[in-house]
Amino acid sequence: MTVLVLMENNEASLQTLTLARKFGEPLRAVHMEAVQPFAPDAIAAILAMVADDLDVSSVFAAGTDRGNDVMARLAARTGLPFAANCIAAEPVDPVTVVRQRWGGSLLEDALLRAPRALVTVPPYALRVTDAPAPIDVDVKPYLTRIEPADLQVQVTGHVVAAGGGVSLAEARVVVSGGRGVGSKEGFAIIEELAGLLGGAVGCSRVVTSAGWRPHSDQVGQTGTKIAPDLYIACGISGATQHMAGCKGAKRILAINADAEAPIMQNADYAVVGDLKEIVPAISAEIRKLK
Amino acid sequence: MVLTADNMSLETRHLGFTMSPHEECGVEEAVRLIEANGGESVVLTLGPPEAIEQLRDAMALGVDRAIHLQTDGAEWDPEGTAAAILDAVRADEATSGTFDLVFFGNESADSGGYQVGLRVARALGRPAVTGLKGVKVEGGSVRCEQEADGGRDVYVVPMPAVLTVKEGLNLPRYPSVPGRMRAARKPVAASTPARPPACLELVRLVVPPGQGRRAELLGSGAAAARAVVEMLRSVGLL
Amino acid sequence: MNPIAAAVLAAVLIAAVALFGRRSILIYRLIRMGKPVARFDDIRARARAEVVVVIGQSKLLLRMGPGLMHAAIFWGFIVLLPTIAIAMIGVVDQHATLPWLGQQGWYALLVDVFALLVLAGVITAFVIRKVQRPRRFAGSHVREADLILLLIAGIVVSLFLWHASQIALGINEYPAAWAPISSLLALALHHSWTPYLERAAVWAHVLLILGFLVYLPYSKHLHIFLAAVNVFFGRTRARGRLEPINFEAPTDSDVRFGAATAADLTWKQILDTVSCTECGRCQDVCPAYNTGKELSPKLLIMALRDQLLSGASTPIVPNSVTDNVVWDCVTCGACVRECPVGIEHIDHIVDLRRNLVMVESRFPAEAATMLRDVDRASNPWGKPQSDRAKWAEGLGVRVLKEGEAAPDVLFWVGCAPSFDERARQGAISTAKLLKEAGVDFAILGPRESCTGDPARRMGDEYTFQKLAKNNVRTLNEAKVTKIVTTCPHCFNTIGNEYADFGGRYEVVHHTEFLAELMREGRLKPLAGERTITYHDSCYLARHNDVREAPRELAAAAGRVVEMRRNRERTFCCGAGGARMWMEERRGRPINEERVREAAGTGAETLAVACPFCTVMLDDGVRTTDAKLQVVDLATLLAEAVDRRRARDAQVSSADG
Repeated sequence: MTVLVLMENNEASLQTLTLARKFGEPLRAVHMEAVQPFAPDAIAAILAMVADDLDVSSVFAAGTDRGNDVMARLAARTGLPFAANCIAAEPVDPVTVVRQRWGGSLLEDALLRAPRALVTVPPYALRVTDAPAPIDVDVKPYLTRIEPADLQVQVTGHVVAAGGGVSLAEARVVVSGGRGVGSKEGFAIIEELAGLLGGAVGCSRVVTSAGWRPHSDQVGQTGTKIAPDLYIACGISGATQHMAGCKGAKRILAINADAEAPIMQNADYAVVGDLKEIVPAISAEIRKLK
Repeated sequence: MVLTADNMSLETRHLGFTMSPHEECGVEEAVRLIEANGGESVVLTLGPPEAIEQLRDAMALGVDRAIHLQTDGAEWDPEGTAAAILDAVRADEATSGTFDLVFFGNESADSGGYQVGLRVARALGRPAVTGLKGVKVEGGSVRCEQEADGGRDVYVVPMPAVLTVKEGLNLPRYPSVPGRMRAARKPVAASTPARPPACLELVRLVVPPGQGRRAELLGSGAAAARAVVEMLRSVGLL
Repeated sequence: MNPIAAAVLAAVLIAAVALFGRRSILIYRLIRMGKPVARFDDIRARARAEVVVVIGQSKLLLRMGPGLMHAAIFWGFIVLLPTIAIAMIGVVDQHATLPWLGQQGWYALLVDVFALLVLAGVITAFVIRKVQRPRRFAGSHVREADLILLLIAGIVVSLFLWHASQIALGINEYPAAWAPISSLLALALHHSWTPYLERAAVWAHVLLILGFLVYLPYSKHLHIFLAAVNVFFGRTRARGRLEPINFEAPTDSDVRFGAATAADLTWKQILDTVSCTECGRCQDVCPAYNTGKELSPKLLIMALRDQLLSGASTPIVPNSVTDNVVWDCVTCGACVRECPVGIEHIDHIVDLRRNLVMVESRFPAEAATMLRDVDRASNPWGKPQSDRAKWAEGLGVRVLKEGEAAPDVLFWVGCAPSFDERARQGAISTAKLLKEAGVDFAILGPRESCTGDPARRMGDEYTFQKLAKNNVRTLNEAKVTKIVTTCPHCFNTIGNEYADFGGRYEVVHHTEFLAELMREGRLKPLAGERTITYHDSCYLARHNDVREAPRELAAAAGRVVEMRRNRERTFCCGAGGARMWMEERRGRPINEERVREAAGTGAETLAVACPFCTVMLDDGVRTTDAKLQVVDLATLLAEAVDRRRARDAQVSSADG
């Protein structure tokens, strides 16, 4: 069985290989950078041509924004079904998948009835395993066969985000504030702690709706999904929407006045009490060490 | 998360329903574009009879009319959904003219298929850009901003086009009550499309087992600060 | 009879009446143009209010000093009214007077005494204004007030001079012996110029009165006519009830979404603004004003009055009234309670909010989340309704299922105890006590949704009515007759406001219910060592007159000390008016102010009867580091009951 993988230059793609390998080895790869600047329809076109030429049984990609985008286009142009964000799959007939719903708070067992399976794997769901890398497909011949229509949607420029600071998606430590922080000014103590830990500031949806922080700080199903080494949730109750964004964290520390808050069931460590006292106290202790 | 007895859907008693956050931003964007440029906006959904509430909510924000593709509440897979939407869009365009823009949410909050908008765009033969946080109409084109690599990628595509958007695109307005009252009287064109057999077929829903995290209580109040710092050092973050 | 004098008087009188009349008609028309509101019910209660508040000066006497001062002037004016006619007759004919009354000795005595009281009142007023200089006059038109006081002084002084010179000339129609003060004054007036003084005094008196009459409708002194009218049209129904909007009006334009411009105000609201006498008592007790916020109820009413009189059709907010002023209000009702002329400031604020929220969507962003949550999740915390009964797990509390018949008492829990960890305690203790007393009760659990109070107080009447109708349907289907609730806001809304939507129930606050159980002997407490000060909730003590039952509970639990601002004088915790969900951006925090007052009593326990007061005051204790423990009265009672049981067990085991 020939399995094709759309590779990006990130950890998520390596995690995807873990599942892809179940469907056949060696894996063949097409890289997202094949078309520069990025043009999703063009990549999808290449994948379609390669898949036909190699008689591929299944195509995998990481469930990143770009991965899902390209794979959905591939599905549309080839008239095939597409199962996004699968944390598990079995190469049987019909292919069975376990998909994420609600950002991962609910799972779906499904059957993928298709001559060729199109699957993406969400980041942070699987572990990278030690195994030979996929064999790259020589895409040069395909580049000349790309039609102008497939280059209509293409990146024409890039706007750099205002303000420096640690990127939320990449930070090792994220200190996040919710309703309990109380106000825009209340985030000063959150920023302080994040700064001391070299991390980024995050927040819940309540906070962005109230206008205390910009949407780019929002962690959650409709915000940014993160997987830091440590996620410190201050005054966040732990609603499903939010947990979908941070459950990928290696460790979660919850600081909340309510010992019964849902986040307590999802955290590794907890401190119960008033975050307005606790967070500055932690910052003070850290300063003592430095 | 509580499931119904047959494990095929969520138990929705005592739950309120709302539009997905991505889609709410799409509706707001559409309303703003019409306010700025004139024209007409239409909102469409595929869903059970109760979904008309969300259509009314969209019209309360300022959308002119609605199309309700009614289902009996059973699951539709992404291909089936896209096909029904495609038919409805084509039918509407036949009488009311081509849509300059069709907005979709990047993915639905519940099933998260990430594909309906792109399928519809492909079938209509129109350019599609996904995951947008910025939309600006410039003449006959639209300038789109998509988050990537600590910044935003820019695409410019000609209209008619299909855009899938993300929450954060804008801050949806709070609907005015006169708006809600007018919305109650705006036209809703209802039809009942036939559900095709599913290619991505739901077998059952499963509530994932608890992450297995049992929170270790480090302490209460400011006095716990030292224990926290100990923990930070033990995991190598300090 | 002096024909020239008569002619001059006639001319002046006609001119004065014409000027007065013209302005008064303008003000009358202004009021009549106002939108309708039903204030013609319960004439008996309205008449009673006239007697107590207007004649009896009850609101003014809440402050003894200024109250007596004003009462003197007020009652004086009433007694002295006939002297206007007498003086006018006297201007025309020096030797004539009002038939019968003008000759009565007892009337002459009354006139002398009350004229002196009025003068004493005016002097006191000047002392208050110029020496004491209370802060409540900040922003009022003090020059206008000074002029009015001078005019009044002039009127009574000219009256005394006239009577005294009449007596000195021997032309008084009433027995001089009955006018001791005038007679005394007359002793100094035996001069050749006394006849001229007599004429000058009577003319001055009449002209001052007529001048005063003309000045009246152009100044805040108009209150002397309008106050009585405004008090008559005050609320007779529950103070805490707001007037609903009828969304089912024939066309959309018939629906009144609160007040955007002056043309949207009701006639009662317009009457309110022109009745205002700028006394500032409302300002003095306003928690917002007194913690450095922009809102002053007095300045608000004055601003509305000025906009009305100027005829401007521009939006009230932000031209006459800023957004901050509208949102600073906690709807505590202290202003309404203090106002001697019956102004109902809360109605103005809520109507301004209704337009801002429902039509303009213009309100503090952090409240938008709360409104959305109330609408979609049926509670302001946005938490799942299915979790609503979680607080009661393990307590053996019955959850009433759909189709089941209601128990004797429905325990309406409210959103705060259902979803907030601090507010929960009162409900838990209440449930335990109800069980101990063997009360047949149940809770609705997930079928209980927010009463809609926060939405209504914010001005989102639409969302409120949706929730109200749903709750009424649930309660009526279950055939609920009696409701006990721990939350004064739920208590007020269900008890006073749900009747407008078909919900009529006997609603009792948990402190009232528990106090009754105590009195019946079904709960037996033993007081402990705590020194307790009780914070009256605004929605209990002021809006609904529940003041003593909570004190019964406090006294049963420990030793009670009162704060200075107690009972109807209570100082808000800061959560009312939906401010629980808004940030306090200016001035000092209201809750800290109240906590300081509580700490000042020396008590270590701050007893509360409301889940919002619990959270706000507990926050205040933490931020001020006060040595106070905030505890719900139900919890204190539960403690006392446990204490008694423990002691009884000891006693019986000692015996056994």
